[in-house]
Amino acid sequence: MAKRYGATTAVDGVDLAVTPGQVRGLLGPNGAGKTTLLRMLFGLIHPDAGSVELLGRPFDGLGGGALEEVGGFVEEPAFYPYLSGRANLSLLARLDAGPSAAAVDGALARVGLERRGEDRVAGYSTGMRQRLGLAAALLRSPRLLLLDEPTSGLDPGGTRAVATLVRELAAEGVAVLLSSHQIGELERVCDAYTVLRDGRVVWDGSAAELVAQAPASAYALATSDDEQALRIAADQVGVRAGRSRSGELALAVHEGCLDALVFALGDARVAIRRLDLLVKPLETMFFALTSDGAPLEELEPVELAETVLAGL
Amino acid sequence: MSTAAPAADRASLPIGGEDSIWNALRTELQKLGAQLTSRLLAVVCIAGPFAFAAVLKVQSGTPSDALFGVWVHSSGFAISLVILGFAGTWGFPLIAGLLGGDLFASEDRHGTWKTILTRSCARTDVYAGKLLAAGAVAVALTLLLAVSSVLAGVLLVGAHSLVDLSGVLTAPGRLLGLTLLSWLLCLLPVLAYTSIAILFSVATRNGIIGVLGPLLVALLTQLLDLIGKGVGVHLLLIGSAFDGWHGLFTAHPFYGPLVISSLVSVAWIAASITASWRILRRRDFLATTVSRAPDWRTPVRIVAIATALVAVLALLANVGPAGDTAYRLSAAIGEEFNNVTLLQQELIGRRVPAGARLDILPNCNRRAAKAVGPGDWNCTLYVYLPQASSVPFEQTSVEYDVSVEYNGCYKAQSPPAFIGGPTMLDAHGHSVTNPLYIVYGCFNTL
Repeated sequence: MAKRYGATTAVDGVDLAVTPGQVRGLLGPNGAGKTTLLRMLFGLIHPDAGSVELLGRPFDGLGGGALEEVGGFVEEPAFYPYLSGRANLSLLARLDAGPSAAAVDGALARVGLERRGEDRVAGYSTGMRQRLGLAAALLRSPRLLLLDEPTSGLDPGGTRAVATLVRELAAEGVAVLLSSHQIGELERVCDAYTVLRDGRVVWDGSAAELVAQAPASAYALATSDDEQALRIAADQVGVRAGRSRSGELALAVHEGCLDALVFALGDARVAIRRLDLLVKPLETMFFALTSDGAPLEELEPVELAETVLAGL
Repeated sequence: MSTAAPAADRASLPIGGEDSIWNALRTELQKLGAQLTSRLLAVVCIAGPFAFAAVLKVQSGTPSDALFGVWVHSSGFAISLVILGFAGTWGFPLIAGLLGGDLFASEDRHGTWKTILTRSCARTDVYAGKLLAAGAVAVALTLLLAVSSVLAGVLLVGAHSLVDLSGVLTAPGRLLGLTLLSWLLCLLPVLAYTSIAILFSVATRNGIIGVLGPLLVALLTQLLDLIGKGVGVHLLLIGSAFDGWHGLFTAHPFYGPLVISSLVSVAWIAASITASWRILRRRDFLATTVSRAPDWRTPVRIVAIATALVAVLALLANVGPAGDTAYRLSAAIGEEFNNVTLLQQELIGRRVPAGARLDILPNCNRRAAKAVGPGDWNCTLYVYLPQASSVPFEQTSVEYDVSVEYNGCYKAQSPPAFIGGPTMLDAHGHSVTNPLYIVYGCFNTL
């Protein structure tokens, strides 16, 4: 499937499948083609080449029956501000020709908006609109859920609630394709990832495969004897150590190599006072796949952390 | 590319077809019902005619430039017909613009296209639902205005007889039927204006242009009505279709302009709907958060096309046969003068034998270089009165200043010194409208 805007290729030969009960994270930097891809799946954008098949049904891009049992939203959910949240959902339920008033109540309750359902959407916060968007997606009991930045605008509690909800839906057999910039949040819920860059799929696989293939993660370390810890770390396989500008220890550790370092420090009676994960495997992998910078393996630990965090 | 999940054991929802369009229609009606604009329009359509009639009732003046305007104190049906005349000029385009002009553009304003197009309703059904909703509400508001205007006139002035456009007094029962029929005949052009508003709304994605578009078309129609002698181009304009009912209010009803303008309305509806659907069908709904640089190409293109269209229409305005000719005007005003003169005689208590006729020789001339076309005319009516003397008859003449419109309707007025003032006393001593003071008439321009 391909989509071009003039000389710019937004989506180029993307092919992905989401299986029932799977939560697939769709990753990519700004302009990678994530939202364009989701809009094509929803029929909002006509592809220049290729075709879409949703739940085994061919999709001509004009909506209708092919979107049956497909829920979700792209970008910030939008509603009619002059109507209440409940009225908005009732209206969408009517377009679906199915869900009843009870289903509307159930969807509102599931996202915690049952007490604000009668309020006009014009008075909703960004987070409440996001939750109403989720309620609209759940209204039709989807088998496939396409979510674009579902935690955008939510407070930490709301973000956790959405993550829990997504996992519950997956447990019920719903296939979820979830696009987000908040990689940390994706890590909590996704079983698999598809990484886009310049409209192409540059990596596709399970969460376990991604962690296994990820470059070293970066840690900040504080011990009772940093000099000795630095020497010990230098002797460990899969570990690189250095100091930050403020003098703190920074480590670049490959997957599975951290335990040996911790044991070695304990054997040397060097107490670990703080060990913070600065950059997660998913983040380093994402950066490695989507940036044009120097290979992460060649960077000092501190540079690794700074480079990856700055690039996210 | 596919996103696949195995079939779940759940019933399929009824998707597509008539149900889907019906659901989309109900959705749009619910939205329109919740909007302040729609509610205000309904209030204006209900209360407006009563306010208009009440204002007329407390003042002595009349909107005499409007067809039937001089009769608003005499017959409630005149009030409804005057309102119909005003509505045809500006009211209906405004209703169409406010309903259809923002129906599609508001989805862009609220960013809700992606919300409704990602449901089970197909894009075709959403479009059809919006189209039907705009049409249904436009029709409902027109009918509301029709009923309200008739009720306002009948309740505040009375269901009295009215002098028609041939100078014949028409009974209330027939008037009621003709008045309601006239309103019904305006539904097609109302729908044509609504379709144009929808086209503006879909093409520009701008509610303001969508609302103002039909008004702009109405303004251009008004301007084009002022120029040219040819009748063909005028009949191709939507606004002309609001004049079709005039032919019903004559002693010898004519339906040619009515049929042609109705067909023209259907053509405008079909063209606008086809164009707007093609635009919407091909449209890519891109990210709402992406701020686009102002795109001046579309407005410039629209202005260029509109300017070219107006120029062509203006040039064509003189092409084809003339509608307003001295022969047609003379025949119409001669017949009408005969009728209103006899009516005046009856009002003052003189007995007029059935089938009585005056011997009238009308002579009309246009006050311009060209002898045909709309504008100011002068008509001299030579009346020959038989008398029992050596001279078999006495000739007298009446001068009328006549303002003729492109559609063959005219308003004729004579100096009060000759035919009396706007009111006169009837046989019972009541002050009544003088039927000779201002004479409204219409003739067939085809």
